[in-house]
Amino acid sequence: MQATWLALVLALLYVPMLSVVLASLSNTRYLRFPHRVWTTDAYAEALGSYTTGALHLTSFTIAAVVVVLSVLLATFGALAFARYDWRGRGPFRRLLLLPLFFPQPVLGLALLLYFTALGISPSWRTAAFAHLVWIVPIVTLVISIRLYDYDVQQEDAAFDLGATRLQVFREITLPALAPGIVSGALFAFLLSWSNLPLSVFTSGADTTLPEWLFSRTATNYSPLVPAVAVIATGVSALVIAIVAFGWEVSRRRLRIGT
Amino acid sequence: MKRRFDIGTLTMLPVAMLLLLGFLVPIGIVAIYSLMPPRSFDLTADLTVANYAVALTDGYWRPLMWSAVGAATATAICLGLAWPTAKALHRFAGPWATVATLLIALPIFISESVRLFGMSLFLMPGGGILAGSIEALFGVSIGTILNTHLAALLGLVYIHFPFVLFPLLLGLSLVPEEQVEAARDLGASGWQVFREIELPLTAPGATIGALLCFVLSLGANAEMSILGGQAVTVITRAIEQRFSYAQDWPLGAALTMMVIALTALVVFPVIGRIDLDRLIRR
Repeated sequence: MQATWLALVLALLYVPMLSVVLASLSNTRYLRFPHRVWTTDAYAEALGSYTTGALHLTSFTIAAVVVVLSVLLATFGALAFARYDWRGRGPFRRLLLLPLFFPQPVLGLALLLYFTALGISPSWRTAAFAHLVWIVPIVTLVISIRLYDYDVQQEDAAFDLGATRLQVFREITLPALAPGIVSGALFAFLLSWSNLPLSVFTSGADTTLPEWLFSRTATNYSPLVPAVAVIATGVSALVIAIVAFGWEVSRRRLRIGT
Repeated sequence: MKRRFDIGTLTMLPVAMLLLLGFLVPIGIVAIYSLMPPRSFDLTADLTVANYAVALTDGYWRPLMWSAVGAATATAICLGLAWPTAKALHRFAGPWATVATLLIALPIFISESVRLFGMSLFLMPGGGILAGSIEALFGVSIGTILNTHLAALLGLVYIHFPFVLFPLLLGLSLVPEEQVEAARDLGASGWQVFREIELPLTAPGATIGALLCFVLSLGANAEMSILGGQAVTVITRAIEQRFSYAQDWPLGAALTMMVIALTALVVFPVIGRIDLDRLIRR
C-alpha cells in the first residue's frame, strides 16, 4: 500500500520530465503526440545553433561566478554561523534565513527597482548578484552542517604547538569543511543554472537558458524547445556525475594514503 | 575570549554585507519608492500614501487575494500529500528509501521552466502527451485543465512538494520508535499515536515546510503564466505590469511592499522560534 503510494508520487513527479523528452523527439511544428516520425533532428539543430550556444554560455558564466563567490562568502559565513560564539550571532542567523523565506520573484522585482534607481542597467552581472543573495545563505547552511561535529580542541592543540592562524585554517579548519564546500559549490551551480524567477527580472537584455525556455513555452513552440530543455537538464546531470565521481576518486585515494 | 568575539565578527562581515546591500537596502529602496508621488521616477522628500490608497481601492486586492488563497490551498494540499509520503519513506528506511528520497529531491535542481513546460506538454489538449496517448489507445478525446486555476494550483503543488516533504521527513526522524511502540503496547490507536506523539514532534518540521511552500507560492509567477495562462492574474504579474508597461514605479513598489508585509506577517512569528541547532544536529 505504502510502496504503491511512493511509486505513484514518483511517477507524478517525473511525468512532466518524461513529457519533455517525448516531445523533443519529433519534427513537426506543433505537438501532435504520438509522433508519426520519431527523430532526433531537434537535438542536431539545438547543438548546431548559435543561439542555444549563447544561452548556455550566459547561464554558465553566471553559474561560474556564483559558485566562486558564494563558496568564498559562505565559508566565512559558516564559520560565523556555527563555529564562533560572538555577540550578534542570533540575529545574524535569523537574517541569513530571511532571503530563503522570501518569494523569489518579489526579490527579483525589488532588485530590479533597486538597480534601476542606482542607475545600473540590468545584465548578466546583476542577475549573478541576485542569485548570490538567494544562494549564499543556502551554501552557508550547507557548509555549516559540517561544523556541527567539528572538534574545536584540534585548533587549540595546533595553536599550543605554535601554529599560526593561517596554518590552522589551512591544515585543520579547511579540510574539515571540504565536504561541505564541495556540496555547497554543487548546490550553487545547480541552483543558479536552473534559476528562473530571479533571472527573469534582473538579467536585462542577457537571456539565460531557463528564461529562454520560459519565453518560448508561451510563444513560438517547436521541438527545438524541449530538445534544449533536455540538453540543459543533461548539463546539470553531467555536473552532478562529475562531482560525485571526483569525490569518490579522491576519497579512495585518501583511504589508500592512510 | 575577546579574540573570539573579534574573529566571529570578522567572519560574518562578507555575508552580512551581501545581505545588507542585496536584501535589506533594496527592500528599503522599494519602501521609499512606495511613498513617492504616483508615476515619479526620482526619490524626493514629499512622501505620500497615495499609492497605497490606489493599491487598496483599485481592485489590486483581487490578484493579491488569488496569490494568497492559491498559496494557502497549495500548502494544505502539499501537507496532505507529504505526510503519507514521509511516513512511507520513514518506514522503508534502507537503500530503496534512500533512492526514492534522492529521486524526490532531484527535481529541485531541475529548472522550474523545464518542469512546468513538461507539465503543460503533458496536459495540452489534442496532441498533448496525455490527450494524444489516450486518443491513440482508446480513441477517446479528452479535454484539458490547462489555462485554468486548477492547472495553476497543480503547478504550485508540483513545484513546492519537495520543500514540504523534506522538513517533514526530518521531523519524523526525530520521533523515537520505542515511544510509538510503547504507546501501541499500552493500547493507543493510530489516531492517538498521531495526535499525542507524532504531531507534536513533527510540528516544527511541518511548520518550516508549510511556511516555505506558502511564501514561495505567494510570489509564484511562472506556474501561473505557463499553466494558468490568461485565466489567472497573480500579484507578481500585476507588479511587473506596473513596473514595465505602466511605468508607474511607486504603485508597483507599494504593491511589492504589501506582499513583503504579508510575507513578514507569516514568517516573523515562526523564524524566531526555529531551533536550527536541534533540527540540523539531531
